[in-house]
Amino acid sequence: MAEKERLDELTGTREDLASIKNEAFSTVESCRTQEDIEAARVKLLGKKGLITGIFKSISGAEAEEKPVIGEIGNLLRELINEGLQAKSETMAEEALVASLAENEVDVTLPGRKTALGHKHLISQVIDEIVSIFLGLGYRIETGPEVELDYYNFEALNTPVYHPARSLQDTFYIQREDPEHDNSNDILLRTHTSPVQVRVMEASSPPLYVISPGKAYRRDEIDATHAAMFFQVEGFAVDKGLNMGHLKGTLEVFVRKLFGKDRKVRFRPHFFPFTEPSAEVDVSCFACDSAGCSVCKGSGWLEILGCGMIDPNVLKYVGYDPDEFTGFAFGMGAERVAMMRYGIEDLRVLTENDLRFLRQF
Amino acid sequence: MRVSLEWLSDYVEYSMPPGKLADLLSLSGTAVDRVIEMGAETTGVVVGEVLEVKDHPNADKLKIAVVYDGFENHEIVCGAPNLFVGMKSAFARVGASFSGLSGGKLKGAKIRGIASDGMLCSGAELGINDDASGILELGEGTPPGTNLSDIAPTRDVIFDLEITPNRPDCMSMLGVAREVAALTGARLVPPSYECNESGSPAGDLAKVIIEDLEGCPRYSARVMTGIEIGPSPLWMQRRLVAAGLRPINNVVDITNYVLIELGQPLHAFDLDLLAENTIVVRKADFGEQITTLDGVERQLDDKTLVIADRKRPVALAGIMGGEDSEVSGDSTRILIESAHFDPTSIYLTSKRLGIRSESSSRFERGSDPEAAPHGAARAARLMNQLAGGTISRGEIDVYPRRTVPVTIDLRPSRANEILGTRMTTDEMAGILEGLEIAVEKGEKLRTTVPSFRWDLEREIDLIEEIGRIYGLDKIEEAIPVGGGLNAGLTRKQKLIGSIDDTLLAQGLSEVVVYSFMNESDLDLLRIPSYNPMRRALPVINPLTETGGVMRTTLLPGMLNTALRNTNRGNRDIAIFERGRVFLSNDPGELPEEIEVVGILLAGVRGLKNWSVETNENYDFFDLKGIMENISDVLGVSVSYKPEDRAYLAPGRSAGMFIDGDMVGVIGQLHPEIAGSYGLDGEYYFGEFMTGPLVEASRENTYKKVGRFPNVKVDIALIVEETLPASTVLEKLTDLGAELLVSARLFDVYQGNQIPGGKKSLAFALEFGSADGTLTDEQAHGELERIIKEMENGLGAELRGRINL
Repeated sequence: MAEKERLDELTGTREDLASIKNEAFSTVESCRTQEDIEAARVKLLGKKGLITGIFKSISGAEAEEKPVIGEIGNLLRELINEGLQAKSETMAEEALVASLAENEVDVTLPGRKTALGHKHLISQVIDEIVSIFLGLGYRIETGPEVELDYYNFEALNTPVYHPARSLQDTFYIQREDPEHDNSNDILLRTHTSPVQVRVMEASSPPLYVISPGKAYRRDEIDATHAAMFFQVEGFAVDKGLNMGHLKGTLEVFVRKLFGKDRKVRFRPHFFPFTEPSAEVDVSCFACDSAGCSVCKGSGWLEILGCGMIDPNVLKYVGYDPDEFTGFAFGMGAERVAMMRYGIEDLRVLTENDLRFLRQF
Repeated sequence: MRVSLEWLSDYVEYSMPPGKLADLLSLSGTAVDRVIEMGAETTGVVVGEVLEVKDHPNADKLKIAVVYDGFENHEIVCGAPNLFVGMKSAFARVGASFSGLSGGKLKGAKIRGIASDGMLCSGAELGINDDASGILELGEGTPPGTNLSDIAPTRDVIFDLEITPNRPDCMSMLGVAREVAALTGARLVPPSYECNESGSPAGDLAKVIIEDLEGCPRYSARVMTGIEIGPSPLWMQRRLVAAGLRPINNVVDITNYVLIELGQPLHAFDLDLLAENTIVVRKADFGEQITTLDGVERQLDDKTLVIADRKRPVALAGIMGGEDSEVSGDSTRILIESAHFDPTSIYLTSKRLGIRSESSSRFERGSDPEAAPHGAARAARLMNQLAGGTISRGEIDVYPRRTVPVTIDLRPSRANEILGTRMTTDEMAGILEGLEIAVEKGEKLRTTVPSFRWDLEREIDLIEEIGRIYGLDKIEEAIPVGGGLNAGLTRKQKLIGSIDDTLLAQGLSEVVVYSFMNESDLDLLRIPSYNPMRRALPVINPLTETGGVMRTTLLPGMLNTALRNTNRGNRDIAIFERGRVFLSNDPGELPEEIEVVGILLAGVRGLKNWSVETNENYDFFDLKGIMENISDVLGVSVSYKPEDRAYLAPGRSAGMFIDGDMVGVIGQLHPEIAGSYGLDGEYYFGEFMTGPLVEASRENTYKKVGRFPNVKVDIALIVEETLPASTVLEKLTDLGAELLVSARLFDVYQGNQIPGGKKSLAFALEFGSADGTLTDEQAHGELERIIKEMENGLGAELRGRINL
């Protein structure tokens, strides 16, 4: 504020100029709007303005007074300009704040969302399962849902009259003799395993394949039975594959799907198209194996069937079982979904109630 | 299969807690589905003799009985209808505990004013059988005071086992005992088959002829005389109940007992009801009939194997006996059948006739031919002990072609290769021997399989045995290398995924619907006979609730889904399904399976929102926009032309074309069709094949983008009303060549400002060049040229232009 002090000093002896100074400052100070600022500028610095008047008065002044008056005029002009500038900026700022305050929004109102669709829970489960195997170096293959008996049963080492067939209530499209099974019969595949045979027929090892898809069984539909369901089949055929590889693969899979802390166990079992065969249990995630209603007290949940591909199956497609070995596994996507989300009734999955679909 | 551990312990001397045994069985392939703790310890219940029965002064139906418990007399109140003087029954002293008290102790009580010092119990109350109709009646030779738990233990643990179809041998106590012995090394104690024979030779009393050796390779029989039919002993009744069977009488109970014990199904005939005391095993004749034990009269044909006498069929072989040769209370002479039947024959007959029994479920999986005489002998021994019968001398055993034992060579190296183990030959031989498989050691193991293991035929079968007894948990884990170059998604699979993603991003939710429909759906949808959608494949044995044919379109499934949702109050529908439709081919050929996507829209578009004044309903152009976004994402050029479908509203449906081939249809559902599915309001349906879209998809190419802004001009052209907008747009795009970067239709106008019969189409055009040097003048020169061509080519008239 050196300019202000100098001005006061200079005007100390000139009462007339001091009063102009005071009037000028009070004019600036009294500005309330941008219009006031413009009017003040004209009043003070315009052609007929007070300050301009000071400069005009120099010509008639005493010689020694001239530089003093000139300096006072310059200082005043400078300070007025600064003052008006500052006033103007302050006002703009206040105006912005005021307008923002006026246009305040209720930030708790819901946002303007785009509608997003929901992928069906079963598809999400299948995607998750498949992506784990893609990460393990598998590829996806699919096969027909309306299938020949040959691929569904016979080439999978389930010969005609095999008791394993009586476990599968099959939808038939064409049947030579309703009392007898025939490899040319046409049926709705009862599992996704026929894809194994078709892929092995069409290509050669190494094969690392995952095959999700629909399968059909003629079950009366109720809370735990569906006539159509989704299976995810997987298999590998290569040189030197053994039970250890099967165990390692499924252990990784199960723990990736259900959590690292889960335990996995293999129970020997029987399937016509694998030998040795096993069922795979995961330690119950609801009770951490303590035994609860989810695992029916056993501490374990059954989630997969698996085994080493039966040499007969390999022979059917012309592979030498002494050269190549393989393993296969399969699981129901519905079962995984039901266990994971505690769904008690399968039927919600095919009812497609939007209130259900939107939950996932 | 229900296995009572109390019973099992007769045959194998194992010692471990039930939980541990269950784990051991489960982890070796005999899954224990449930462990059932059964009954309770019985204490303070003894054999009591009824010395005196008096009327109850205050109740007609109650009696007062004086019971001697081997120590003193007790006066009790009893309401059992079968109470009589001299009877021996189960007497519970005050302070006793048994199953029916569920943990409590019996207290002395006054019943209708008379003190009762204890009680007489029914079998059901003690947990011995399910008979609650009266008090237990015990046989003669049971001295009063004997502890009841010595006669029939009532506390037991039952394993509910899941027996896999390859292990019929485990459908028996002995079979399970063999597993336990192999797993624990405990000693196996088979039951005794020793028969105390006397009287006439069996061969003089009865005759067995096998006419169909293929169906029945072996028929063993024993003949009993002097049988006294009565109840079986309590311990046997309790074991049968534990196994899930109902006690009937001593003879029937013994055949069932041996069935469960050995897994060998038996049948007892009243020998005096067999014509000429002869059994003939043969195929039935056409027209023959039999009334089986379930009371059903069955017509037989020449495929059915029967047990006959000299006159008529008396049993369906291996499945069920006939009523008129059944053992009854009057029977004294009995023929015990213990045969071996061909599994396939039993399987087919039981399937054809729709009967399954404890017998057929064992025979159809394969029984042990060598166990046949054991079954007959064991039953005879028990009938001799428990039903007062005399065992006739000698056994009848028709077995002309002996089964040759199976031998299998095992390469130990192969076993290690399959299992991923490093077992020694000795270890493997030890495991096999534990399973009663004989082993000759050499470079290969030469094994001989016991007759009860039908399932062991190949080397791999032995490897499985070694693996499961060794323990799968001991096999070291490894991860294979994977498919290398062949791993991962194909380009087509990724594109299919992006179709799903694009639909989801536009607010459509995915549905999963059964692949069936009703033939009548095609009529409802008015599909003409020549349309491929009529090629619906019928299912021979459909379920009524899912429909009788394979679907040829997703539409019915989607409409039913919409209906279910609207009925439940979900009126705004935006759904899609990706799945297969099935078009039949010639008989004997598999159908064509075509993957399609179906889309159904109805009600309010998108999400209702507070900031939008009116929420608009879906219309045709929402559906088309969804389709266009899909083709944009795939980089496919799809054109739309009017295309009529009987199920779509006339003038509001279009075909989707790629290079002139139709790949799908979109349109408004015909309101009458909506009505016939119970829906009202506007529904928009589209269906397209994924295959051709994915096939036509091209990878995006890079075009240089100029550094200067594009020149933007809006123009409005007046054209004939009937000229399709797509024709005008295509012409513009064609004419625009390199410099016209984009052309977008943004307005359609008809009204006062333009002549009748005409319409105004407004386009936003952008000109630009990759090197960024396009000037305003060049751009406008190009526009002039284009407008002139439009005027000449399409008779269009420039209505106005705005430079932006």
